[in-house]
Amino acid sequence: MSSSADGTTASLYVPVDCEIIAVSDLTPHEKLFRLRLKNGAPLGHLPGQFVQVSLLGWEEAPISVASSPTRTDYFEMGIRRTGSLTSAMHELTAGDLIGVRGPFGRPFELPKLRGHDLLLISGGCGLAPLRSLIHYCEDRPEEFGALTILYGAKSPGDVLFKDDFALWETSARFACSRTVDQVPEGDCYSGGVGLITSLIPPLEIDPHRTVAVLVGPPVMYRAVIAELKKKGLSSDRIVVSLERHMRCGVGKCGHCTIEHLYCCQDGPVFWLNEIEHLRGAL
Amino acid sequence: MKYLSNEQIPDFFSSLQATHEVRLPIMLPDGTRCLGHPGDGTVALFGGALPAKPTAAFFPHEGPVFVAASEGFTEPSAPEKPLLVVGFTSRDLACLRFIDRFFAEGWRDDIYFRNRQGALVVGVSGYCGPGGASLALADGDCDFELVWDRTRWLVVSHTGAGSAIVEGLAETVSDGTLERLRKEMAVYEDENEKAIRRASELIRADRVPDTFWSEIGDRCIACTGCNLACPTCTCFGVQDWRYAGRVKRSRMWDSCQLDGFMREASGHNPLGTEGLRTRRRIHHKLAADPDRWGEISCFVCGRCDAVCPTGIGIFAVARELIERFGNI
Repeated sequence: MSSSADGTTASLYVPVDCEIIAVSDLTPHEKLFRLRLKNGAPLGHLPGQFVQVSLLGWEEAPISVASSPTRTDYFEMGIRRTGSLTSAMHELTAGDLIGVRGPFGRPFELPKLRGHDLLLISGGCGLAPLRSLIHYCEDRPEEFGALTILYGAKSPGDVLFKDDFALWETSARFACSRTVDQVPEGDCYSGGVGLITSLIPPLEIDPHRTVAVLVGPPVMYRAVIAELKKKGLSSDRIVVSLERHMRCGVGKCGHCTIEHLYCCQDGPVFWLNEIEHLRGAL
Repeated sequence: MKYLSNEQIPDFFSSLQATHEVRLPIMLPDGTRCLGHPGDGTVALFGGALPAKPTAAFFPHEGPVFVAASEGFTEPSAPEKPLLVVGFTSRDLACLRFIDRFFAEGWRDDIYFRNRQGALVVGVSGYCGPGGASLALADGDCDFELVWDRTRWLVVSHTGAGSAIVEGLAETVSDGTLERLRKEMAVYEDENEKAIRRASELIRADRVPDTFWSEIGDRCIACTGCNLACPTCTCFGVQDWRYAGRVKRSRMWDSCQLDGFMREASGHNPLGTEGLRTRRRIHHKLAADPDRWGEISCFVCGRCDAVCPTGIGIFAVARELIERFGNI
């Protein structure tokens, strides 16, 4: 909590100051922000959690943390320019301050993932929250079995975290595949082309050892889940992280409800068997 | 048992202003009733539930979150004196109990409790409804209750704080009037309450098809009156107001009947049709909240039906739903 002007304990809704350490371009539309709390404390998050990013004059937006808590000197967020707040964010540079509240939400349940083979699947911006878990796996490889990363983007120009991918692809610890939906004419891209679902059938999966973790746009979930079920994965072995509009992050504003659940508090990470029967969840 | 004559009511509440920030029903020049301060108008305890939700005293339609300036954040302060809010019917009190729990559980909403903490709540009941109709006794959920027996206000305290307020009243009665009123109120069976319970059963049993919600949604003009009138609607949005040298962040009531309520930055909208939004409004009260909180969150106050210009308040929808799907 930040200190208020009168020195009393600050409200749940008052952001704390956070300094931008570095900003780098991920794509023409996305930037990676490296940050640290101005008070020097670690953010204290777990993979899968989010913060409410606050810019005075531009309100707040929920943004997933894209870095692992094992890297304590900073935290990172990949932010797409898609509205007034994120556009204002994209104008900021190292040394500027923003506000954050959080971390909030249910993280990936690491105790339940440990010891399993992980199939880490993301589409589009979904790689940002999943990167937090991937980095965690990278830093604690002994805790997990085989680690497979699948990633799909719309086009070569939309591929996020290319530098990370280059490292993961050469790492003995990860098996990586990526694809793009389409390649613009004249683009020199030489990787795979096709929907992300095309990456699943060739995989050899032990459904009793594997947990699949999915983060992506809503349109991705049903198709990917169908492919995973063909591989024998049951709903209690599939984890999803859902995007919802959130104005508070603490289960009060009502914008992120999925039937009786509040995505900001009960999620955003869910086991599939918790939400697949709920109207509008996927 | 204490009592007050109707003539004593204004002075009684005016006297409490020394220690409390008093809000009570007053009559406006146009004949409507609303919460106001003593002296703002004629005290108007008669007439039943206030048109606007009295829970707004604690969760106002718009309120500050903080003001940010170069010297830091300034949060709104709690009222100098605790609030004392008069005019809650038994149904309003049930709504207040529900939202108290909602704002307290999980992350405690300090903005709500800044007003609510230490506040005194005063119920009204007895034969003070519209045209002298009866209002059920609250018998709790408030600090004290004013019960109109057609000649006087019986003053029934339910908490220590309530007793401390009314102990100064000199008069006492113990003639069994309260017990008689309690029995008289108990014989009334509320058809709307039965309809709400039955509609909840049908929705939770998945007996209501999407086509029904589309039909109801087609009648919605997105005026948001239902949400703004409902004492258990607590959804809010956030807005920053920019001034020279400072930014005020405020929060204000929001409505799930608006297209942008759930629209995400990506453009994906889980409530992208009128039908889905109307289903959400009703389903949340009658199915989602029972699943989460263990009780239906419509306490049958009737405000949404009173304000809806197209006749799709929750009673109307419940009755139509029962008529069409109750015997399938």
